[in-house]
Parts: sequence; C-alpha cells; structure tokens
Amino acid sequence: MDPISYLRENVGTVLFYGEQHFLVVLCAIALGSAISIGFALLVSMDAGSQRWSLDWIVGAVREGALVVTAAALTVPSLALLVLLLPLFGLGAATTVTALTIYSLYTVLRNSVAGLSSVDASVLESAKGLGMGRLRRLIWIQFPLAWPVILNGIRVATLIDVAIAAVAALVRGPGLGQLVLTGLSRYGAANAFNQVLVGTLGCLVVAAVFEIFYAVVERLTVPRGIRV
Amino acid sequence: MSVGGVPGLITVSRRRKGMRSYADLLSTPLIVLLGGAAVALWVSTRTLDDIEARALQPSAILSDLGQHLILTAYSTLFVIVIAVPLGILLSRKGARRIRNVVLAVGGFAQALPPYGVLVLIAFAPAPFGFNPFSVIMGLVAAALLPVLRNTVVGLRQVDPALIEAARGMGMSGRATLFRVELPLAVPVMMAGIRVALVLNVGTAVLATFVGGGGLGSLIVRAQTLNRPIVLVTAGAIVAALALMVDWLAGVAERLVRARTS
Amino acid sequence: MSETTTNPHGIAEGHPDQRPMIVLEGVSKTYPGQTIPAVAELDLAVPRGSIVMLVGPSGCGKTTTLKMMNRLIEPTTGRILLDGEDVTGVNADQLRRRIGYVIQQVGLFPHFTVGENIAVVPRMLGWDRQRIRQRVDELLELVGLHPREFRDRYPRQLSGGQQQRVGVARALAADPPVMLMDEPFGAIDPVTRERLHDEFLEIQRTVRKTICFVTHDLQEAIKLGDHIAIFTAGGRLAQYDTPEGILSRPANDFVAEFVGSGAAVRRLHLIALSTLDLDEIATGSSPTAAALVTVPLSGSVYDAVDAMLDAQTSVVAVVDDDGQAVGALRWNTLVEKLQLRGLHP
Ligand SMILES: Nc1ncnc2c1ncn2[C@@H]1O[C@H](COP(=O)(O)OP(=O)(O)OP(=O)(O)O)[C@@H](O)[C@H]1O
Ligand SMILES: [Mg+2]
Repeated sequence: MDPISYLRENVGTVLFYGEQHFLVVLCAIALGSAISIGFALLVSMDAGSQRWSLDWIVGAVREGALVVTAAALTVPSLALLVLLLPLFGLGAATTVTALTIYSLYTVLRNSVAGLSSVDASVLESAKGLGMGRLRRLIWIQFPLAWPVILNGIRVATLIDVAIAAVAALVRGPGLGQLVLTGLSRYGAANAFNQVLVGTLGCLVVAAVFEIFYAVVERLTVPRGIRV
Repeated sequence: MSVGGVPGLITVSRRRKGMRSYADLLSTPLIVLLGGAAVALWVSTRTLDDIEARALQPSAILSDLGQHLILTAYSTLFVIVIAVPLGILLSRKGARRIRNVVLAVGGFAQALPPYGVLVLIAFAPAPFGFNPFSVIMGLVAAALLPVLRNTVVGLRQVDPALIEAARGMGMSGRATLFRVELPLAVPVMMAGIRVALVLNVGTAVLATFVGGGGLGSLIVRAQTLNRPIVLVTAGAIVAALALMVDWLAGVAERLVRARTS
Repeated sequence: MSETTTNPHGIAEGHPDQRPMIVLEGVSKTYPGQTIPAVAELDLAVPRGSIVMLVGPSGCGKTTTLKMMNRLIEPTTGRILLDGEDVTGVNADQLRRRIGYVIQQVGLFPHFTVGENIAVVPRMLGWDRQRIRQRVDELLELVGLHPREFRDRYPRQLSGGQQQRVGVARALAADPPVMLMDEPFGAIDPVTRERLHDEFLEIQRTVRKTICFVTHDLQEAIKLGDHIAIFTAGGRLAQYDTPEGILSRPANDFVAEFVGSGAAVRRLHLIALSTLDLDEIATGSSPTAAALVTVPLSGSVYDAVDAMLDAQTSVVAVVDDDGQAVGALRWNTLVEKLQLRGLHP
C-alpha cells in the first residue's frame, strides 16, 4: 500500500496521535516557558546602583542556571526519559517532564538576552521618570524583550516536537508510537508507511505551532517595535 | 539583537564578557572531569550485583563507547564537510532563491524527529538497512539542515556595509569572504552548529534500535534489566561526550578566528 | 532676580522664598574602578525659579552632576538638598516624579506612542484619562508638534529633533517644580531651536520652574541662563556666575579661553534696549521714523547692531509693542552708551 492510501485509511489514528503529540509539547513548552521566563525576570531585574554585592550574586545565579540547563541538553533524550521513569511512571508525565527540561535552556537564554539587551538609555529614562524596579520590568523591559523571548519559545518548540517522538519508548503519547509500531513490525505490511507518517507528521505538528506563534506574535508584539 | 537559531552552549554566555578566554577553554574539560569523577566515585561506593558488574565492565563500556565515537565522529565530519561549504555557496548573492527556501525549510527541519529519520533509512534498501552506515547517514540527514541554516544565517547577518567597505578597499570577493565575512560570521555560525552537534551525540543513542550499536545499547540494557546505576553511567558518558564535542567545536572556533583575524 | 544672584553662595539667607531650591554641598563622585573623580568637591546652589546652565568640555561631569540631583547616581561624598531636604532621605522614585528629567540620549520608550510616552508620569500619578489626554495635547502644542499628527506615532517614526521635543514634553508632563535637562535641544535646527528658546523663556516667565540645563552651546547658555556654571575637566567648577559676569569678568584663564574671542559681541545679547538712554528721533528731519529700520524695544543691543549691519545703516528706530517709535539708536553713540552703562551699571 502506498503512504497516501495508508494515510487515508487511518486518518483517525494518525490524527489522534498528532493531537497527543501537539498537546504533550504544548504542556511542556507552557511549563518550561513559565519556569524560564519567571526565572529570567527574577535575575534580570534592572539593578539599582547600590547593593552591588547582591547584583553580583544574581549574576552568578544567572550564569549558573544557563550552564546547568545547557548541560541538561547534552543528556540523551532516551537516558533522561528512562531516568525519569521511576519518578513519574510510564506515559505522559515522564514525557512532559523530559520535554520541559529540554525547553529550559533555549527559552532561558533568549529571555535573559532579550531582557538584558533593552537599551540602557530607555531604562535610565524610565528610572528618571520615577518608575520603580517592578514597574520598569513590567512596563518597559518585558514588552521590549518579548519578541526575542517568543523566538526562543518557537525554537524550543521545534526541538521538543522532534524529541517527543522518542518518548514512545517509555509509552509516551504522540506520533512516536507510529514509528515504534512500524519499527517493531519491520517487514510487515504498512510498517514503512507507519514510520513515514509518524516522522512527517511531526512536521505537520510543527507547522501548526508555527501558525499559532505567528498569530500570537501579531497579537502581542507592540506595534512600535514590530519589524 | 536577535537570538536567531538555536544558541550555542556552555561557554557562549560567558564569552560575552570578553576576557577569561583561557578559563573558558578549561572549564568544560574540568566540568567533564569532575562529573566523571563524581559518577565513578558513586558507582565505586555501591555494591554491584552480577548484572550490574557485567554491564559496567570497562571492556563492555569501551566497545560501546568506541562504536558511539565512530558514529558521532563520522556523522559530525560529514555534516560539516557538506553543510558549511554549501552554506557559504548559498550565502552568495546569486543563490537568493534557493537560500530563502533553505532558510525556511532548515528552521523547520529541527522538528523532524531523528528517531523517525533513522528508522526510515534503516528501512531503505541496501546499502542501507540495519547497519552503522545507514545510522551515520541518518544522523547526517537529521543534523544537516539545521547546520546549513545556521551557516547561512551567520554569514548573512554580517553588516553589508562592512562587505561593501571591504570591496571598496579593493579586496577580491574571495578575500572579502575569508578576511571579513567568515571571521565576523563564525560566532553566530558556531552557536547554531554546536547545538546541532551536541544534539547529534545524543541522537546517536538511538542507533541501537537500527543496528548501529553505541552507548544506546547500554541504556536499553539498563532499562530492560531495570538497573538505574547502569543507566546513569551510560547517560553520564554520553553527556560527557556531548560536552567534549561542544568543547572541540569551541576550540576550533577560536582557532578559526585567530587565524582569520 | 538677578539682584540676589551675583553671589550664589550667599543666597541661602533671608526670605524663605529666596532659599535655593537645589543645594550641592561638597559633592564628589568617583565611579567604581576609577581613580579620578568625575565630579570633585562641588558646591552649587540653584535659586528657586531660576535657570542654571551647566557648560563645559565633553566628559567634565555635567551629566553626572545632574544624575546625582535625582539620585540616578549616588554621590561618593557630600550632601544634596532639594528644597531644604536631604535627597538621600526620601524614596528615590517619589523624588524623581517631582523632578522632570530630560535624558541626553532621549530614551523614548519605543513600544509606546508619542502620547503614551508623555503620559507615563501622569499615569503613575493616577490621573484620569480625560485629564491625561488634555495634558498630552497641550504639551505637544507647546513643543511645536501638532497633536493630531504626532500623538499616535511611534518614536521610530520621528526625526531626532522631534524625539528630543517629545522627551522634553514627557519630562514636563506632571508639571514638576524642578527640571533637569541634559542637552534637550542638541539635535534641533537653529531656527526651531530659536523658537523653542523663546517659548521656553516665555513659559518660564510664568511658571518659574527651577531648571538645571546642560548645554555645549555657550550662546544658548547666555540666552537662557540666569546663571552659568562652567566646569573644567575632572568635574571642578571654574566659575559660577551670571552670564554677564562670565562674559565680562572671567574668573580664570580657563573660562576666558572657554568663552573665547567675541565675548564682547556676545555680551551685547545681555543688554536690553530698554535699559539704554535712546536718542530722540528728530520729527522734522528726514529720514523720518517710518523710513528707518526698526527693532523691538524688547530686543537686545545685539539685535540692534545686527539690524544696522544687515541694512547697512548707522541708525535704527526702537519701537514698542504697538509699533510706536520710542527712540533711535545710532552707531556713533552706541559705544559711548555702553561705556556709560559699564561705569554705572
Ligand atoms: N557609568 C560610568 N562609569 C564610569 N565612568 C563614567 C560613567 N559615566 C561617566 N563616566 C565618566 O565620568 C566622566 C564624566 O562623565 P559625564 O557623563 O558626567 O560627562 P558630561 O560632562 O556629561 O559629558 P558630555 O558633554 O560628553 O555629555 C567622564 O570622564 C566619563 O568617562
Ligand atoms: Mg553628558
């Protein structure tokens, strides 16, 4: 059977796995972004000129977090998934946790870069007008950093979509199941089609995310800084 | 500023500050050594049962490691040899059409699961099949587009005014490429390339499912035998390998920059 | 107020309204990691309701001095009093909302429209929408930007000079009693700048803000300032005096050189025509007043001389606001008059 007619006959199953894939990545990205952005906001709050030593500590924590999350990216996905098994069991929880961990670095790095790249003169004038730390963060720093942060979320999503396929090996939900089934039925009818559809399906999931982010960008990036 | 593709790994954030270049170079091996020592210490304090002892025999680990090294080394080499020159070609003026396609597809290709790609290639007829050769080809296929994309992006973000200035001073196109564009592009290029290569080391773990061997087989064995200690050891070795690849890329980057500028 | 101001350090006594608005006492600033102070042992008193111009070579510590006044930078030593109150004691954010600040690099918020930029401080102070909107339009008019055209633009859609003017409007928004302005008119063409100067002085005549104004343009300093503070490199005060004092009695070689040649001509700016004894216009003889070149009584001797040279004539008629000639000024007698004025100021 050729892939097209395979797909036609199994639309329901494929859609089901695709949806699972999407949701798992969505959960992980939401979680990872919340953690990373929250952390980045904490360590990027524009410093007051006093309290020099505190700023030094904050800087060290920031760099440390970048190194740790970067190192997490070097742990092979299979090993991380298996390692999390005893904690979260087979299935979605382990998958989401692993994907969350993999998304941290990209989002964190972009957030820190975005927040710290806000023009110093803009921040100084905000200070000069009497905005406090928190207000500067919310009114000025975050909106100006948002396009860079959003781009980090996008890239992290692409990476997670790919890694999520491996999660099938720990009974994780998603298109990886198709690849796994196909592999285990090597030589049988449709085994190749299953792997093909599972693999290319990830691209479709990624495309849905891209559309989603394009809309989010339209709606949330202030007009004055849209390119 | 734009933090475009996937950013670079550990040393990148610190390099922003300019100094401490040698401390940078040493930090990754140091982290690897310390981490390795910690894991070794942890393993040595545990009493291993038969299965664990057998799985953790140095000879067994070394043979897996050797296979893994071969897989990653060849695939990394092929990816760079193919993608970097191709990226340079694509960054030239004449290639605008194809370049835009590659940029669009290349970013997207990060979402292509290497797991699926490896299995697909293993399913292909000879010389592909369940063997190391198709694993290497699969790894190359998975990492090629992101690296290609980052090469192009890195070269394109060089300020056109600088290129114009170089041409205006009478530099040839080739001299401009090697003396101006590449040195300025290397940091951005390498940031993306390094992540692709690091992920590649992790992906090679999946080789075990398509007859490629490597450290993945140790991980799978650990899972089926339910032996966390073996798992942690195997995972740590792969992570250390990935860090060292990142480090090597960093060293190479520095050499390139020192030579060209 | 120029009666009270020739000796800035003596102002502190007397009437409470005569008490200076801003006082710097022995203020120094050495940036971390540097050995030479950016500002050294600075004493300065800014009288209430007056304009003090800070001038000096680039890097001499003008911006640093301003920023210490609103605590963007903390002084290494010394004390700063605002309205008699030590600024280190008050909440920095509250303090800054009472002090308008125009930053040298403009620093408009790129994601806010022009209107939103100007509305920042009123919003923080909790004004209602209606009032904010009115205020924004009023200020845009004031700085010569048509509200309808500019209110909803983003900063990147403005020229450098227009951005600067929005920066000034933003600092004025909540009508702060004190303004710190760091080269606010640097990127504006001479004609517009001239107009802004006039409006600036006009407004100042009624609102009487206390203003510290940094500039590189001595001409601007002489025109706008009640006092001028000239800094030397290393943040030392070379002279603090009225424009007249600076031009006619430079305290040292540095000031003399800074003021440069042409001080005498510049000083003509400072002599209002209304303070001179003008010649009568002989009614019978020709040329009659109507035929003469005229200058307004509110102008300076500089304007009169400029008009004479421009028209290549040796006599101008001085006219009041209604266009009535009040007297004539002749080239031949001008120097005498100036001498006379110099003897009996
Ligand atoms: N944040 C800082 N850290 C260290 N040194 C600084 C800092 N800001 C200013 N300086 C130094 O302090 C001195 C005074 O700087 P300041 O900005 O006050 O000069 P300025 O008079 O405003 O100059 P300009 O006319 O060029 O604006 C300069 O030598 C400058 O290099
Ligand atoms: Mg300055």
